[in-house]
Amino acid sequence: MDVKKMSQKTTTEPPKEKAYRKLYTSKLLRETMTLHILSTKTASQNGRLVWVTSGFPVEIPVAFDTVAAYPEQYGAIVGSEKCGPLLCGFAEELGFSQELCSYARSSIGSVKKPEQSPLTGLPIPQALLACNNICGTVLGWYEAVSEMTGAPVYLVDTPPLEGDQPPHHLAYVKSNLEGLITFMSETFNQPYDEEKLLQVADLSNTAVNLWTKSLEACKNKPSPLNCADRFLSMAPIVALRGTQQAIDFYQAFYGEVKERVKQGLGAIREERVRLLWDNIPPWFTIYNFFNTLAKKGVVFPADSYTHAWSANIPRGEALESIAQVYSKIWLNKGLSAKIDKMCNLIKDYELDGFVLFSVRSCKRYSLGQMVTKEVITRRTGVPGVIIEGDMVDSQQYNEAQAETRVDALLEMIL
Amino acid sequence: MLIDSTGKVRARYLLATGASAKKSIQRCLDELVSQSKQDLSGITMISTGYGRSQANFVSKSVTEITCHGIGIHSLNKEIQTLIDVGGQDSKVIRIGSNGRPTDFELNDKCSAGTGRFLEVMAQVLEIPIQELGSLALKAKSPSVISSTCTVFAESEVIGRIGAGDTPANIAAGIHKAMAAKIATLSQRVGVVKPVAVTGGVALNPGFRFYLAKQLQTELWVPDEPQYTGALGAALLAIDTHE
Repeated sequence: MDVKKMSQKTTTEPPKEKAYRKLYTSKLLRETMTLHILSTKTASQNGRLVWVTSGFPVEIPVAFDTVAAYPEQYGAIVGSEKCGPLLCGFAEELGFSQELCSYARSSIGSVKKPEQSPLTGLPIPQALLACNNICGTVLGWYEAVSEMTGAPVYLVDTPPLEGDQPPHHLAYVKSNLEGLITFMSETFNQPYDEEKLLQVADLSNTAVNLWTKSLEACKNKPSPLNCADRFLSMAPIVALRGTQQAIDFYQAFYGEVKERVKQGLGAIREERVRLLWDNIPPWFTIYNFFNTLAKKGVVFPADSYTHAWSANIPRGEALESIAQVYSKIWLNKGLSAKIDKMCNLIKDYELDGFVLFSVRSCKRYSLGQMVTKEVITRRTGVPGVIIEGDMVDSQQYNEAQAETRVDALLEMIL
Repeated sequence: MLIDSTGKVRARYLLATGASAKKSIQRCLDELVSQSKQDLSGITMISTGYGRSQANFVSKSVTEITCHGIGIHSLNKEIQTLIDVGGQDSKVIRIGSNGRPTDFELNDKCSAGTGRFLEVMAQVLEIPIQELGSLALKAKSPSVISSTCTVFAESEVIGRIGAGDTPANIAAGIHKAMAAKIATLSQRVGVVKPVAVTGGVALNPGFRFYLAKQLQTELWVPDEPQYTGALGAALLAIDTHE
């Protein structure tokens, strides 16, 4: 028996239809984000660009007529362009440890060598706005960028919460937001307009509602969206929250999702297994990872990450409402809140198992996954697996190991 | 491994994958034909292990995790927990009533806690890998090797050599460190007795001694522990054929 001859037989088979369906709104997504990138360049030239962290109350800088750029989103672009190791290396040359978050390393690396970075890096900001509700690294990272660009840093400090928010916690975060108002007024020479902030919050809520409805449509069988669809389509909810552009995109996006549900069209052609995804994805192999599984009939109707942008800012005193919402981001609420949320997703979306991606960069997100796995299985009865890697730094990802673990999980389910 | 419909082993062959999985697969097939005098055309085949996708002529590819579960269950139906320590990785598998895994954990990306770790350490000590385990059992006072990272442990071993520790004591320290790493991995799944050990490292008496001590349990080892996964794959091929 000859392996080569046997292999040739398989190559003569006709090409199969792709296992996944492409969203037609992906064209609009590309246009929306291209325009946003162009607007950040113009804003930088006009002295009105801020860099913000993903969990920052962006409604405030938007209400000050500044444009927000997201280094974390830029990190995703760096990952997708497969130049994470190169840019991280530039930061490592400056003395930053390989153990530091790869979003931080690639961001610092791109500031050091923009000419070698995708899109020639993010445009130079006039202010750096960090909120530590997602992690503590952001402050040191933004301070490093501040040293390199001269832009001042403002930190909104949201101490971790367990359970309900006590009044002193709310008052403290609110005082941080008041400080932010002063900082923005002074830096951009513009007075604070509460009515405008409330209008921005309304726009933000409208986009968040459309996004949330799109996510919840994935309870349908087959699921109209897969993981990669959500991770790419979340770009405007992160970067353009509080703007009309975000609403325009999500109206079209939700329209397509509804159409798929109505026609019974799934994100993948043959849905056999429904899984939950936890954590940021490996951007450098996002299509390869999820589409390879799609070919095996595996869809991810829910994940813990893209559901993070689904809170509405309640009507009321603007800063107090914003302080409430941004303190209660579940990454800021401890492990039990995250486990509860994931168990609910498994139940509500009728999932057969779960994949926990242990991201070496993101300690805040990945810490506790071992116990999480045990507790989720005990509570929901479905099996799960932990795979290891990184979101940007492909040097920390072993494809064969990850594939074996997920395949073994599927063998337990099927 | 080639088995007949009754489950009797007709041929088996073990080799290192080397630089080309495809070439190794061909060598294996040639060897199975030579041993069994059997034409393999039309025979249901299942591939497993890290090179499984390279064998694109087989009926099915199954992970080594499932195959080890099926394999050990056929050899000893009592086994509840399987610890497999191979050259590439180590895994702890909870065995279900039909031999199918119900939970599992694997080592992280680092080679600590795998056969590769022992191979590197044997090279440092200038001892053939086959003798490393027996040497460890001669230790009077095992050296303390605290790191479970292969690279750092290598530096530590060199440090112990420099400090004048005997090769036996160092070998014992190496096995203790590795057993500790595997024991931690086992606790993540939960050690339900009886426990079996498979993979090439199961042949190492030093490793078995320190792992049994760490887990405080006896360890059951099949006669040819390296073939357990292949046996499981072959048994699954019979099911697939039927």
